[in-house]
Amino acid sequence: MMISGGGGKSSWSSSTSSWIPTTSVSASGKRIQREMVELNNDPPPDCSAGPKGDNLYHWIATIIGTPGTPYQGGIFFLDIKFPSDYPFKPPQVVFKTRIYHCNVDPDGLVSMGILKDDWSPALTITKVLREVRSIFTNPDHYNAVVPGIAHLYSGDRAKHDGIAAEWTVRFAK
Amino acid sequence: MENKRMAVNGEQKRSPRSQKIPLTDSNVQNMATLLSPRFKSAAAMAGWDEEALLLASLIVEDTPVRDSKHKKRSLLNSSSPSTNSSRIRRTWRTSRQPIPVILDLDAEETPKKESGRKKKEERAGVNNEGRKGGGGDGNESKEKNPGAPSSSSALPCIDKLRDELSCAICLEICFEPSTTPCGHSFCRKCLRSAADKCGKKCPKCRQLISNGRSCTVNTVLWNTIQLLFPQEIEAREAARSLNSRQQAQNLSPQTAFYANLRNTSIQASGGASSRNNSRKSVAVTSTTQEDEDAALARRLQREIVEQSPGTTRMRTRRGVPTSQDQDAALALRLQREEFIQTFRGSSQEQTIRLPSPSFARANLRAMASRAMNPRTRDRRR
Repeated sequence: MMISGGGGKSSWSSSTSSWIPTTSVSASGKRIQREMVELNNDPPPDCSAGPKGDNLYHWIATIIGTPGTPYQGGIFFLDIKFPSDYPFKPPQVVFKTRIYHCNVDPDGLVSMGILKDDWSPALTITKVLREVRSIFTNPDHYNAVVPGIAHLYSGDRAKHDGIAAEWTVRFAK
Repeated sequence: MENKRMAVNGEQKRSPRSQKIPLTDSNVQNMATLLSPRFKSAAAMAGWDEEALLLASLIVEDTPVRDSKHKKRSLLNSSSPSTNSSRIRRTWRTSRQPIPVILDLDAEETPKKESGRKKKEERAGVNNEGRKGGGGDGNESKEKNPGAPSSSSALPCIDKLRDELSCAICLEICFEPSTTPCGHSFCRKCLRSAADKCGKKCPKCRQLISNGRSCTVNTVLWNTIQLLFPQEIEAREAARSLNSRQQAQNLSPQTAFYANLRNTSIQASGGASSRNNSRKSVAVTSTTQEDEDAALARRLQREIVEQSPGTTRMRTRRGVPTSQDQDAALALRLQREEFIQTFRGSSQEQTIRLPSPSFARANLRAMASRAMNPRTRDRRR
């Protein structure tokens, strides 16, 4: 009896997540659609983004390296994945193009405050892209995810820039 | 015109009830609604007599803006019988076009409309300059907007207004806007979800919201939005009702079931002991027929419904054994599988987790535990 009861309980909890359709799915879909329209109407500079295929929750974006930075001239591809309760949870932004940056981990995952604890439902993907673009110019080396790069950035800026430019030429062109 | 008016006023003083009869011109409407019954009762509570009221109305009738000054003056007038000053002023005023102001406590919009129309041009200019999202002043200027739904497409700043009045969370026009202490407005539902899921901070400025749960609708803003964007609000209302209906019908049979059961559970929970008996007898016969299983599961689910916070009173009186929870959960799972079978048919086989032999076994197990359960409960009593 206890065993069957326990089994029932676990399947009950798993069934609630899979079975009951949450209203937020359609709400998040609507919001993502609106963002898409907004982004098409007024794209941020040097950025573009849109759904990868049929899936509205999986986008692909490009950012062109800002002139005046070691990333200049590179075209960086990013993957954006929206959670199902999207405006309330941050999207996941991953660099598909390799980049030498102290805020981008070796797997390409962008580590930024607004994509984690500082996320606010009032932020849009346009703002996120702007923010990602801004870390090209100003890496946040105090909250770095790759300490080595951050150390080099604060210690030997010229060397850091050299490596970053080299990576840009090698991977992003 | 002037003479007629005087005559009318004289008559009014004699019998204020008959004021409608002699008036046939365009002033009929204004005069008819001049003193609403509510206003009269309010005035009676304030201790104004009929004459004072009429005097006040004479003054207010011709003045575009009503404020406390006029009330004070009329009070003074009522104390002194001479109303010459007001008469003189009135004759001076009626030479111009009289502006109809309805003295009605309900009609909040009318004076706003008057002043709003005058300010329209300036405001349009301000809006066209591109005021970008300055929370407080943005709201203020919108609240003064004349409530004219017909002019919604004609307003030059309608796009700006749309931007201003849209919720930053769902990016649509605010539906039942709720304003945070820091002055930012969102849909009530959006703000509530944000408070639930992202902590009690304002989504715009991250200021602390003291109580995100008790969001009150900003009435003025909501009325303004309804007046400015009637189509959008209508569409959204329709979508919402459709959505909820769909949800109740087919998308989530479980919640629909709960909704149905909530009604029946009230009657059913009355005879708890008889239910226990019937449950025992069913367990003894141990048939594996589908409909009986469903009935059992439903009965068990009823217990869950009773345990849900809305209807706890039935259960909290007697101690509920914890195994009952698990038992009920199992029954619920069984029921869910039944649902999947009936609703989706056997075409989608990946959704059915249990093949039939284990399904039957689970049924038996559930029944066995149910048979034990009343016993344990009886022991407890």
